Amino acid sequence: MTNNNASHNENTATAIVTRLAKRSIFRNTRRTLLTVLLISCSLVAILFTDAFVRGMVSTMVKISTQTFLGEAQIHHQGFRATNDIDLYIENTRNVYAKIADTETIKAYAPRVISGAMTSSSDNVASAIIYGVDGHKEAKVSKLKQAMVEGDYLSGKESEILLGQRLAELLEVSLGDRLVVTVSQAHGGDLSQALFRVSGLFSFNERNMDNGMAFINLSQAQQLLNISGVHEIALRLQNLQQADDKSLPLWQTFNTETLETLSWQELVPQLSSMLAMTEYSTLVVSIILYVLVCLGLINTMFMSIFERQTEFGILLAIGTRPKQLFIQILLEGFFIGLLSVTLGLLLAYIVCYWGANVGIDYTDLEMTGMTLNEPIYLIVDITSFIKMALATLLVTVLACLYPAAHAARLQPSFAMRKTL
Amino acid sequence: MTTLAQNKKPKNDDSANSATVIETKALCRHFGQGDTLVKALTNANLTIERGEFTAIIGPSGSGKSTLLQLIGGLDSPTSGDVLLDNRHISQMTGSELSDFRRDHIGFIFQAYNLIPVLSAKENIEYIMLLQGISAHERAKRVTTIMHAVGLEGLEDRRPAELSGGQQQRVAVARAMVSEPSIILADEPTANLDSKTGIELLDMMKTLNEQQNMTFVFSTHDPKIMERAKRIIRLVDGCVVDDERRN
Repeated sequence: MTNNNASHNENTATAIVTRLAKRSIFRNTRRTLLTVLLISCSLVAILFTDAFVRGMVSTMVKISTQTFLGEAQIHHQGFRATNDIDLYIENTRNVYAKIADTETIKAYAPRVISGAMTSSSDNVASAIIYGVDGHKEAKVSKLKQAMVEGDYLSGKESEILLGQRLAELLEVSLGDRLVVTVSQAHGGDLSQALFRVSGLFSFNERNMDNGMAFINLSQAQQLLNISGVHEIALRLQNLQQADDKSLPLWQTFNTETLETLSWQELVPQLSSMLAMTEYSTLVVSIILYVLVCLGLINTMFMSIFERQTEFGILLAIGTRPKQLFIQILLEGFFIGLLSVTLGLLLAYIVCYWGANVGIDYTDLEMTGMTLNEPIYLIVDITSFIKMALATLLVTVLACLYPAAHAARLQPSFAMRKTL
Repeated sequence: MTTLAQNKKPKNDDSANSATVIETKALCRHFGQGDTLVKALTNANLTIERGEFTAIIGPSGSGKSTLLQLIGGLDSPTSGDVLLDNRHISQMTGSELSDFRRDHIGFIFQAYNLIPVLSAKENIEYIMLLQGISAHERAKRVTTIMHAVGLEGLEDRRPAELSGGQQQRVAVARAMVSEPSIILADEPTANLDSKTGIELLDMMKTLNEQQNMTFVFSTHDPKIMERAKRIIRLVDGCVVDDERRN
């Protein structure tokens, strides 16, 4: 019975403290609205940054993997470290058969790679020559979509595709002749072949457009005097599989002679940069939360100093310091609740726009990669909820100090102007 | 008409039956130190009995408000002790003191000091809500006290929508509705016009006589002095006169 009474007392006391807190936040409507606006704008900035970083990461990974790299690549052990053309995958039929049996691999593109000297009648330039199977390459990279002039590889003898800038450098156009000189495998003898420019491509990526050329795979093998390939680019069923090292794919194609690496391992600088951008959300969040805290502490102290006499009265007529403490925390909670509601609404509008229209960073180069498509914001609901709860928590925590100050007030001091 | 006295239940503790409500022993309150030391109250020894209608008078700065603050547990004495209903208030913790003030002391302030975001009814109810009194009992007491202080029909008005006299009536109602042992009033008529002040004093006097409620005023107002059964005069923080009247 006594416990019931005590519980009833607590309930009615909590009810009046909550009512006071709710009404007090609208006592100075302008100040409350400004505070709510400050907090909600900070939340919008945090959520926008989060969605933007997610969008940027996704775009960069997409550009990196879908343009040419693939989600993973198979090489002969040591090829990536040395670029030695002698280190090629020999038993390709066997490897292709295993690839066909691997469910996680959607498509693959075999490539022969060699540094070469390209000579036109007017100029000479170094380039990386890729021997590719046009049909298979189109399923893995965007080479076909990147064609800006001429025709894509059809398998005919002497076809060569040049990067648009490389063609400018060599001062050649469609149909012009071009001599490619390479150093052959197994001894390094020089080998030359005559090609006619059949097409020009542009990946909107300076390094690729300046220094890459594509010829048919069989001709490249003949030119280099090899029977295999240097690289097999893989397109997986989805991007996440590149992170999942438990998949059989990684065991199957990592052997004594074969090395299979995911895109993160192939371009570690991009991976590191992406990890760093994720920290940027954290840094922005911390800075904004500190500003929110300081703003709210200032607001609450202004409010407390204005109401000092009133707090003195509340304490004098029997409000416990703890109840006053809770009242101030509740005021912070209600301000936080309003701010989070408004912030989520504004953030949804901004992010919805950003997710559909995209933010145009076309031609901006980052870590050697050109953003050749807009960044579309990616909204993560879990992140929205986490950030909203964190904002609510921060607003309540920011009120701890002002609440403790109010609870420590001595009634006679607080009311000295009146009693 | 239902009066508060009819609603009032006897308190269980022995203190409720004791004749002495307030006792101060060698009470001192000093502010500052060294050259700036101010002796606001010096060696005040007082005993106030249940049902007294007492006025503490004296010039400004004589220590009236300090004495009321110390009696009400709103300030801590430099030395000495205060016993309220036979309890040493200086020995209580912060929460105990809050609960004690809530349950045993009613305050009426010169500047009314109502909570501006609460209506007249809610201001009056506030202490009862802290006490956990049931909604039914609260409603009954609020109706009774609002009738007693002449505030019927103004229940839902906020303080800003009430006149000074009406606000002070709400303050009186708030102080009395929780049925405290003692009501401490600091210049309750100072901000009121003469007519409203007389009405309020007569109301408090009636409540004092009907319910044997103890009133202690700090005042300069001759109207309060006329009605007081006892006048304590303070000069420079010292009790210089203690006059009882029939």
